[in-house]
This record gives sequence, C-alpha cells and structure tokens, in this order.
Amino acid sequence: MSLAVEIAGVRLKNPLIAASGTFGYGVEYEGLLDLSLLGGIVSKGLYMEPRDGCPTPRIVETPSGLLNAIGLQGVGAPAFVRDVLPRLARYDTAVFVNVCGDTVEEYAEVARVLAGAPGVAGLEINISCPNVKKGGMAFGGDPRMTHEVVAAVRKATRLPVIPKLSPNVADVALFARVCEEAGADAVSCINTLLGLVVDVEARRPKLAFGTGGLSGPAIRPVAVRMAWQAARAVKIPVIGIGGVSSAQDALEFLIVGCRAVQIGTANFVEPGVYARVLAGLEDYLGRHGLDDVNAVVGTLRFPGEGAEAGSEG
Amino acid sequence: MPANRDVALVAREVLEGAYVLLTFRHPEVAREARAGQFVMIKAGTSADPPLRRPFSILAVDPERETFSLFLKAVGAGSRALADLPPGGAAQCVGPLGRPFEPPSDGSEALMVAGGYGIAPFLLFVRELRRAGRTGRVFYGGRTVADLQVREPFTALGVSLVPATEDGSLGHRGRVTAPLEEYLDGGPGPATLYACGPDAMMRAVARVAERRGLPAQVSLDPWMGCGVGTCLGCVVRIQRPDEPQAKYRCACTEGPVFDAATVVWPGEAASLARRRAVEVKG
Ligand SMILES: Cc1cc2nc3c(=O)[nH]c(=O)nc-3n(C[C@H](O)[C@H](O)[C@H](O)COP(=O)(O)OP(=O)(O)OC[C@H]3O[C@@H](n4cnc5c(N)ncnc54)[C@H](O)[C@@H]3O)c2cc1C
Ligand SMILES: Cc1cc2nc3c(=O)[nH]c(=O)nc-3n(C[C@H](O)[C@H](O)[C@H](O)COP(=O)(O)O)c2cc1C
Repeated sequence: MSLAVEIAGVRLKNPLIAASGTFGYGVEYEGLLDLSLLGGIVSKGLYMEPRDGCPTPRIVETPSGLLNAIGLQGVGAPAFVRDVLPRLARYDTAVFVNVCGDTVEEYAEVARVLAGAPGVAGLEINISCPNVKKGGMAFGGDPRMTHEVVAAVRKATRLPVIPKLSPNVADVALFARVCEEAGADAVSCINTLLGLVVDVEARRPKLAFGTGGLSGPAIRPVAVRMAWQAARAVKIPVIGIGGVSSAQDALEFLIVGCRAVQIGTANFVEPGVYARVLAGLEDYLGRHGLDDVNAVVGTLRFPGEGAEAGSEG
Repeated sequence: MPANRDVALVAREVLEGAYVLLTFRHPEVAREARAGQFVMIKAGTSADPPLRRPFSILAVDPERETFSLFLKAVGAGSRALADLPPGGAAQCVGPLGRPFEPPSDGSEALMVAGGYGIAPFLLFVRELRRAGRTGRVFYGGRTVADLQVREPFTALGVSLVPATEDGSLGHRGRVTAPLEEYLDGGPGPATLYACGPDAMMRAVARVAERRGLPAQVSLDPWMGCGVGTCLGCVVRIQRPDEPQAKYRCACTEGPVFDAATVVWPGEAASLARRRAVEVKG
C-alpha cells in the first residue's frame, strides 16, 4: 500500500504535514513522537529578525476550536538556519519554511536566506496571517499584492513556492489562480478565519490583540469547501488545511482534490495524532480496495456534476 | 523524557470544596517527575473543551507506575477530570517543564503555597530530604477547605504553618504574614519558593526583594500545548544581561522561574535587570 504523494516536485512519504505555528520548529517534538513518521513539517512563520509577538492572552478556546493572536513570535530566518535546520536533518521528513514579511522585499530576502540553506524542501508563503498589522492578510486579501509577493519570492529562489491562502476573501479560487499565474508551485489552503470573542463582563475582546484567527474542527467545513474551490480552479497541487484530527477529516480534503493535508490545532490536543491518522488512512484504502492514496484524490462526486449527474436521473 | 499516553484513572478521592485527588498510571511520569513539573491532561476525547489542562504532579509511586494530582474543579476541563469514574480514560503527556532547584547553598527552603499551589511541594520536600536538607511550608487559602494537603507533610516531619483569610485554621490573614514573622525571628539563610495565585507569588517576590533572599516562583498562566509550540503561555522574563524583556514559554522555560527575572504586570523591568543596571551605572 502506498501513501506517498508528490507536491511541487517534492516527494512526501505520506500526505500528512504539520501546519505552521502548531508544531514549533519541529524539534520541540523530538522524543515525544517520531518526526520521521510525518510526510513533512512546516515551521512557525519566520521574518528576517526575531519577533516578540502579541501580548497575552493570545489564545482562547471556542466551541470545537481556538481563536489565536500569537502575532508570529519567532527566532528569525538566520537563527532558524543556524540552530534548527541541522537538528532536523536527522529525520526523514520534508521541511517547509513558513515565510513572512512586512514588505514584499522582506519576503524575498527571507526566501533568499532559506534558498541557500541545506535541508529546506520548500517555502510556504504566509500572505494570510490575520494577527499582524503589516503584511500577512493585508497581502493575501488583495489579488495585486498577492501577485507581487509571490512573483518576488519566485524570482528569489528555485525552491518550491507555496503561497498560503487566506479564507477571509469572497472568492478563494481567484486568489489560487493569481498565485498560479505568479509562478507558485502549489497552494496551501487555508489559514485561520478572522474572528472575535468578547468577554461580556469586561465588554472587551478576550484576546489582547482584539481579533484573532479561528482554527480547529469548527472551521473544517469552510476549509474543505475552499480547498475544493481552489483545487478546481488551478492545475498546481492544493494542500488542504483546517480542522483535521482524524483520517476521515484528512480524506475529506483528499477527496475534494487536495494532494496533501496539514494538521494544525490537533497537534496541541494530541501529540500522537499522526500515527492514528496514518493507520486510519491505510484502513480506509484497504476497505475500498485501493493500494495508493493518490487514487482517492479528486474523486468527489458532487451533485449535478459528471457521472453523478447521470446516475441521478 | 516526557511521553504521551492514554491513561486510566486508578484511584479517586473526593475532598471538600471541589477538590479531588486523582491517580493515573503513567510509567514515565512516575519514574522521572521532579518537583514543580506538570502534566497536560484531558478526560476522554471530546472536542469540547478542545485542549488539555496543566496540573502539577503531586506525588508518584514508581513501583506501581502511578502519579497523583490534587485538582480543584473550576471549569469544564478540570470538572471533566474530577468527574472521571475509576477506570475512566484520559490523554496525558508528561512530565513537562522546569522543576524547582534546591537551594544552591546550605540555606533552608521556605515554601509558600496558596490553595492548589501546594501540589508541587510534596515532591519537593521528598527531594530536599533525600539531599539531607530541611524545609518549612507556609500554606495559605481563603478557608480551611483550601488547605487539605497537610497530613502528608506532617507525616514526613516537615513543619507546616497554615494561614486562612477567614481564620478557620492557623493565622488569620495572608500567608506572607507568618512567613515574614518567621524571617523576622532571624533564622539562618533561606531560599523562598512560591506556588499559588499571582498576587501571592508577587507578594513573596517582594519579601525576597526586600530581604535580599533568592526566590523561585512557579507561574501558572493559561497553557495550550505544554510543549512550547502554541506560544500561548508566554510570560515576560528579563535576565540581568538583557536590555529588553522577552516572552518566554512558561511550559518549557518554566513554570518555575527565578523570581528576580519575572517582569510583573505594570513593571518596566525585572528586579534582576534593575540590579544589574544599578551596579553598572
Ligand atoms: C503549571 C501549572 C500547574 C497547575 N497545577 C494545578 C494543580 O496542581 N491543581 C489545580 O487544581 N490546578 C492547577 N493548575 C491550574 C489548572 O490548570 C486550571 O485550573 C485549569 O486549566 C482550568 O481549566 P478548566 O477547563 O477547568 O477551567 P476554565 O474554564 O479554563 O477556567 C475556569 C476559570 O479559572 C480561570 N483559570 C483558568 N486557568 C487558570 C490559571 N492557570 N490560573 C488562574 N486562573 C485560571 C479562568 O479564567 C476561569 O475563570 C495549574 C496550572 C499550571 C499552568
Ligand atoms: C496557535 C496558532 C499559530 C499559528 N501560526 C501560524 C503561522 O505562524 N503561520 C501560518 O501560516 N499559519 C499559522 N497558523 C495557522 C495554521 O497553520 C492553520 O492554517 C490553521 O490553524 C488551520 O488548521 P487547523 O484547523 O488544523 O489548526 C497558526 C494556527 C494556530 C492555531
């Protein structure tokens, strides 16, 4: 049975990738779980310089989800290359780096720093963080800026370029197409949904930053819908993200057309989630008489379309 | 090395005032836990509330491979744990975090606990005793029901000084009063340790500052993952050589910190930094 997939020329031993900001730099989980079990990991978002992030409280629980405003606290790209990459080299897993910037030029600069470093499989371009005043969602919510950032990173590196789409837009397919035109090799879909939780006694937001990004099982139906729309709009691979914590959840994304799936919030709840999801995927393939996970990708039978339309008559 | 395990509740003892003692089987925690370390644990697998909760490790039994928690039910997560039936399932990772360090010199360990903040000190007095050291516990709470873990300390021959705000046990008032009284009596050199509500820890830190004593505090901010990846539990820490305070994860760089490096809410710099600048300038 084969679980291997290919994203932008990178072979992953299975379609499960740890999502940015929910897995640290990977090394935090050394000893707790076998990193070589994962198809890949995406680092926490990195700028050129270290960042302090937002004041606290930074996270609040919501029904079946989390609202977070961490604000991209991080060590900066050069320290990551120097201190973290050598430690990750021991593991048989693809390392992607989540690239951030206040300006278009900074995105390209971070990309150049990482392009010269051994052990980076690809760059995920964070144009969708809702918790920073500059860059982030401001870029990913504007097709022209999206094009500019992706094209600038494309010029800066030969590594696979994977913009991460924001769900806080009306037409995610349009943004997926803009990324494809700007030279992206794949897209990640989605980042967190902009949200607000109010402390009614104090009549203030519960998060110190005010608004935050919603993640977890609560957003899965929205994420699956957006991944489905993106996958129909472009030829480059789509990596599905949002509320995955079981094989069933991962399969939803694969079936609507994603080639791989990221797991975010579930890492906090259950550090051993990967082994369980992988076992579930194998079980599913077995039950359906399939020997390759790629055979599931894009097999959604949507009412009113294709074969399904005929069979309904 | 911490380990993630599905655990089962081995024993449960319901105490007064929403407190409960819970015992789970987890070999790594039972073998390796040090005083001040904690577990992230959640009853069952329900999606609500989504996350695990941090609890200090109260006691361990390496032979039976079990550990115990002293837990107060305050909200959905702790209540679900407190309501677990014997044999009930939980998900647990541990032991996590930086433990208390015994006094670096021969000084006496003065432990100040507020409510469930007593939990880490039972392991600590055992560690001190193994190292041939002595200690004394100052145990405060609103009322006597908040001071339920006394017998295990007295059984070990440790002196325990209770204080309650309503006077139902020991000194009436704040726990720092008997601490100061003891220090006024001019004992030998002392190191202070505190675990409890923020206001109490800050008060102990002030006592330490005034008297020039070293102090360690076990902070308890909200925690999401316990392993340093969600960055939700960060606290402002400033070491003497750092011009700016840094957000550091309480779960991996704490929960125990040198009190002098903590930048308390409303303060511009840590005590350690202020002292360093004074010396230089
Ligand atoms: C390192 C560490 C060790 C701990 N050890 C123990 C222990 O040994 N025994 C024990 O009973 N508790 C302990 N706690 C606190 C415990 O984790 C919280 O009470 C628990 O997470 C509350 O979860 P809940 O779902 O029951 O309540 P929630 O619904 O999350 O909260 C209920 C109420 O408690 C408040 N609250 C939540 N967390 C905290 C906190 N950390 N400090 C102060 N107020 C809070 C909330 O603001 C709310 O008002 C510890 C915390 C930390 C960080
Ligand atoms: C605490 C937290 C921090 C995050 N940090 C980042 C980040 O640095 N960069 C990024 O692109 N996405 C970040 N995300 C978004 C996740 O990578 C993911 O897109 C989102 O949480 C949805 O997936 P999930 O429902 O599986 O968590 C973060 C999410 C959370 C909960």
